Amino acid sequence: MGPQHFIRMAMLGMNQELSTTPWVWTCTQCKRCLYVCPMGIDVSILVGAARGGWPDDKKPQGIVRSCVAQGLNSSTSAMGLTSEDFIEITEDLLSEIKAEDPRFSELKVPIDKKNAHFVVNQNSREPGIEAEEMGPLWKIFDYVGADWSYTSKGWAAENFCMFTGNDAAWKNMVEQRVDAMNELGAKVWINTECGHSLYALWKGIERFGLEANFQPGNLISYYAQWIREGKLPVNSDWNSMALKFTLQDPCQLVRKSSGDPAADDLRFVAEKLVGAENFIDMQPCRSANYCCGGGGGFLQAGMKEKRRAYGRRKFDQIAATRASYVLTPCHNCHSQIEDIGDHFGGSYHVVHFWTLICLSLGILGREERRYLGPELEKIGL
Amino acid sequence: MIRETRKIKSQLAIIGTGLAGLAAGIFATEQGIKTTQVGHTGSVTYTTGYLDLFGSLSGQQYSDPWQGVDELKKEYPNHPLCQIDREEINVAMSLFVEKLTEMGVGYLKPGSKNLDALLPSGVCKPTISMPLTMAAGIRAKKTNASTLIIDFIGLQGFSGVEFVANLKPSWPELSNKRLQFPGMESGQQLFPEVMARSLEVPENRRKLAELIKPLINGFEYLGLPAILGIHLPDEVHREMEGLLGIKVFEIPTMPPSVAGIRLREIFEQRFPAQLITLIPQHKVEKLELTDGGARLFFKDPFGDVEIESQAVILATGRFLSGGLAAGQQSIRESLLNIPVSQPKGRDDWYSEKYFAPEGHGINRAGVEVDDNFRPLDEDGRPLSNRLFAIGTVLANQDWVRQRCGAAISISTAYQAVKRVAGLILDSTIDSPGKSGKISSPAR
Amino acid sequence: MKTNSPAGTKTLTTKVLIIGGGVTGTGVMRDLALRNISSILIDQHDLNSGASGSNHGLLHSGGRYAAKDRDTAIECRVEGEILKRVASNCIDPCGGMFVAVDGDDLDFASQFPDHCQAAGISCTPLSPSQAMEREPSLTKKIVAAYEVADATIDPFRLTLESVNHAMELTDSFYMPHTRVEAFEIGDGEIRAALCRDGRSGEQIRIEAEEVVNAAGAWAMRVARLAGCNNVNLLYSKGTLIISNSRMSSGVINRLRPPGDGDILVPGGTVSLLGTTSATIENPDRITPTVDEVDRILAEGTDMVPSLADARFIRAFAGVRPLLMASGHGGDGREASRGFALFDHKEQNLRNFATVTGGKLTTFRLMAERVGDLIAKRLGSSAPCKTAVVPLPSGPAICWTEPGFSARDWYARQDPTDRILCECEMVSESSIDSIINEAPGSEADMSVKAISLRSRVGKGSCQGAFCSIRVTSYLYDKGIYSSEAGLAHLRDFVKERFKGVRPVLWGAHVAQMELAEALHCDLMGLDLK
Repeated sequence: MGPQHFIRMAMLGMNQELSTTPWVWTCTQCKRCLYVCPMGIDVSILVGAARGGWPDDKKPQGIVRSCVAQGLNSSTSAMGLTSEDFIEITEDLLSEIKAEDPRFSELKVPIDKKNAHFVVNQNSREPGIEAEEMGPLWKIFDYVGADWSYTSKGWAAENFCMFTGNDAAWKNMVEQRVDAMNELGAKVWINTECGHSLYALWKGIERFGLEANFQPGNLISYYAQWIREGKLPVNSDWNSMALKFTLQDPCQLVRKSSGDPAADDLRFVAEKLVGAENFIDMQPCRSANYCCGGGGGFLQAGMKEKRRAYGRRKFDQIAATRASYVLTPCHNCHSQIEDIGDHFGGSYHVVHFWTLICLSLGILGREERRYLGPELEKIGL
Repeated sequence: MIRETRKIKSQLAIIGTGLAGLAAGIFATEQGIKTTQVGHTGSVTYTTGYLDLFGSLSGQQYSDPWQGVDELKKEYPNHPLCQIDREEINVAMSLFVEKLTEMGVGYLKPGSKNLDALLPSGVCKPTISMPLTMAAGIRAKKTNASTLIIDFIGLQGFSGVEFVANLKPSWPELSNKRLQFPGMESGQQLFPEVMARSLEVPENRRKLAELIKPLINGFEYLGLPAILGIHLPDEVHREMEGLLGIKVFEIPTMPPSVAGIRLREIFEQRFPAQLITLIPQHKVEKLELTDGGARLFFKDPFGDVEIESQAVILATGRFLSGGLAAGQQSIRESLLNIPVSQPKGRDDWYSEKYFAPEGHGINRAGVEVDDNFRPLDEDGRPLSNRLFAIGTVLANQDWVRQRCGAAISISTAYQAVKRVAGLILDSTIDSPGKSGKISSPAR
Repeated sequence: MKTNSPAGTKTLTTKVLIIGGGVTGTGVMRDLALRNISSILIDQHDLNSGASGSNHGLLHSGGRYAAKDRDTAIECRVEGEILKRVASNCIDPCGGMFVAVDGDDLDFASQFPDHCQAAGISCTPLSPSQAMEREPSLTKKIVAAYEVADATIDPFRLTLESVNHAMELTDSFYMPHTRVEAFEIGDGEIRAALCRDGRSGEQIRIEAEEVVNAAGAWAMRVARLAGCNNVNLLYSKGTLIISNSRMSSGVINRLRPPGDGDILVPGGTVSLLGTTSATIENPDRITPTVDEVDRILAEGTDMVPSLADARFIRAFAGVRPLLMASGHGGDGREASRGFALFDHKEQNLRNFATVTGGKLTTFRLMAERVGDLIAKRLGSSAPCKTAVVPLPSGPAICWTEPGFSARDWYARQDPTDRILCECEMVSESSIDSIINEAPGSEADMSVKAISLRSRVGKGSCQGAFCSIRVTSYLYDKGIYSSEAGLAHLRDFVKERFKGVRPVLWGAHVAQMELAEALHCDLMGLDLK
């Protein structure tokens, strides 16, 4: 079954089938079909509505449980981390970084700082299971002298409720975070390298008609701006082995949010980081890119076999570039691309931009290299 | 939420990313004009990949396109191709083909005679240029070479049996076989685009070649549906010929066709690196003509965008692409409500016979332009010195029936861009237009 | 059963030859089969190619005829009740209403309940707000409304089920594309019908003990071939349009003397609006016109304003065979909707009968009368059973129901069962079923014949894509092996265009542009 069938079933009034087909959980709501549809039909909206019609106990439990968890605490974290947990984890990591690298002895991680320029959301994955992955971004903020702050309430960025098709829960998540951010009075909201967090928040604000006193921004475009302004003097000197890199444009960031200008910035940053000659685009790419197959909650929905079959095309796309690294500023893309790499026998690594930025600047700590291959383990230490 | 309207400034705005718009983009780059181009999925993904010059008029097919154009001048003197010198049409077509080839989608250099282009039905049509990946089919047919056509389980609308059955009378040495496409053996519906993307991976090409090899003993040529890669078709084609040791040609498939996607994506891939800001898959919602040029407005998911430019080329296509809109009683142009020349009433839009050799009146409806390809108002005067219209939105042509779509699109693009260059690059001509403000109706 | 005459002409013999594959002819075929009498049914084209296939599909409550033609009204009521029992497969008992709007003749409206009562037709008054509640798309300008027991009936499924049932019961069979060219007459009886296969050109001689002329609008011509000049018909052309979506839940009739756009009938996922009435000279090759469509729509919009913005996918026209009473004027709407059975005794033919006139709702009764006559002539005392024996469905005859193939496909969950017609979701397995099992399936089956037995080509793309895919599929299946397959494709899209042409505006023009690009630019159908 495909989106064209789903839409025709709707036209033929097959409500019974539409409201029960598990296909809706295998659609990643990536809007690629809308992107090329000459008639402008947005299947993802129908899919969202159909998902919403499922009883909670029949929906994929991975997504539902995460959404429920998000509603339990004012932190809005899907991993059950409270505001206090978050503060404690960031403080622990901060002291570790200060101890490891004297260059960052003055490093600050502001929480609830009023009137900062940026207010930042943090995906729970890092504080939850890989706290050290927060370090590179803090270092980047410090390096460019960014005036920023987390919020303690509603600090989490992820929004599984959007995936469940439960609009009320989606709205509730967005409201809590927007309230917390409105209170700080920052000018620009950004979040970490995570696709759906970006889309879920700005789209939620629009869809539910919420008041927000800030402007949405995307981290990648700030990376690009800081590089252009000379604040992030990255280069590709470290890539003396001429390792080849390709790039996964997250649907949520590019096609569904900032469009090709964000794709341009991604490429600008990537080429600066790895060398233009070492950067190979997947085809198609930018706004026309294919979803990795992990989006829309698919990654958390069980159905491994179907998800991997979906990811086969992504795997082929990556294989055609013959790159040994895939850069992507999205957690879902990251996990899915790693998984299909393992499953289909690829030998590439998947990395965030913050890792390479810090690598290039020589400020990437020992613990911050978990996604780099062995050939980069020692570089820039 | 606070949002800023994003603004883009450029010398030229091209509205439309069909063949005409993309050709205009290429020619503008050649002229060094800073361009912004916006357009939605157009009819380009419905193309066979063949580039037609002029092939048919009122049921008569022409092997010499220029003989056809001579006849055309008698019957439809206002046809866009009758407004442009033959030499200029040739230059535009050759340049376009040359640039496409440079970008990685190789095309045959247009000659002076039409080629016999193979269609999936087994019918042939006259065309002037085709992708290099399809070229071998011409000779195979001409020489009645022993040729094997391969089709695939699950690829609908492409039947080797059908192709062979309809060509067998004139091509006895033709036969066919059916295969499962490697990696897609589940038997489900296959799309040419997916197969073509799969063949971008060398390993998958080898697997396909392994399947085909045992079948081709004694054959001189191999015909496949058009699936030989999207971005490097010439390389994929060459490699398949190398792996198989036989001449290989592609045959167009149903849309969305690989030949069309190749064109669209090669532009999406190459334009950003050039002078062009390409905004694909978006539709300009509003166009305002100003003294110094025009302002264009559209929305993307993230908010409002405004383009300011010194000149505009409308390459908005016809009904499918949205350049023209048909009400219950009359036809209008979508962006500026430019007068559309059209048959008197709906009863005259379509002939009673679908395949009437003279075609349908509605197909010749469109925007009228002056010698400089500027659209005309009710009084026959140009709406603006800075507004041009090209491609199939133009009146007095029937690109499908006359097999002249590519020539109209490419040669009118070439003409319009020349005028734009004169306006913008030569400051002495660059005086403000006198047309005043014209706005498209608000939506 | 087959013998070859010395001249090389194929001769077939049967008990009864039935001419005309509409609801009446197929109804006669089944009626006789239920009396254990076998027959050959022939049609010059295919099932329902005349008025049976080009109507609203409305099972009249009778209300429409209550005022002017009480007999027909009563027949409609009685037959409607019977059919709801025995042909429930083919019927959607959606109900209906009669509404008068501002400006309509209030006297006419106020007499409606009395007329209905006189014909025994149940009719419940509705307040304008009750009417609006039932049909929210109705105009706010309702002045009177009555609920009636209208229903809709799928005439294609009806004929397919009738033929299928007859073939199951007896060794009866059906031959499409078979046109009577002459009769061999001698000794006061028809000895054989000389027919021609419209596709192969082959001549076929059919010997039968009895010959039934159920040729609808062509019944007058067939009767004349047998030298009978007593069948006089008035041809009334009626045009209807089909919307892309269902516009109402039940039937909506305009409560006034019949006009052009005054019945809106749901048909599964679509709605049908009509009907015009214009007397024509020749029943062959009629096509709907732009002018007719605009008139239907203008009038329909008075009743249901949203029709003005609806997308229409096709128009079609049929010819009502109206019985010309002697000295009657030329207006089709005024002519009787009753039917007549001619036994042709006065024309000195013992074994010939003609049945014509009538309407879809009364087809069973017409078939019963014919059956009674033929059975009596053949010396059979078997009674008519069509009012009591339900019409059985069959695996290959459900495909005309909108959404059936889609649900069937979904239920299969078989990824190899690929969809050929995307709009109506007709998959390869349903095409296989039609090719192998549907009544009237042929060795060289045309896309048109498949379309008649399914929803292929009936969705919003009007066959632009699916016609090409189905043709390729038929080549792949070995049904086609020569250029004839492509000719079938060409015929099909040409035929479809006739219906699409008058509703081409709005988004449909874009669809047509795409269709023309596919059929001409990609397939070259205009070149060959």
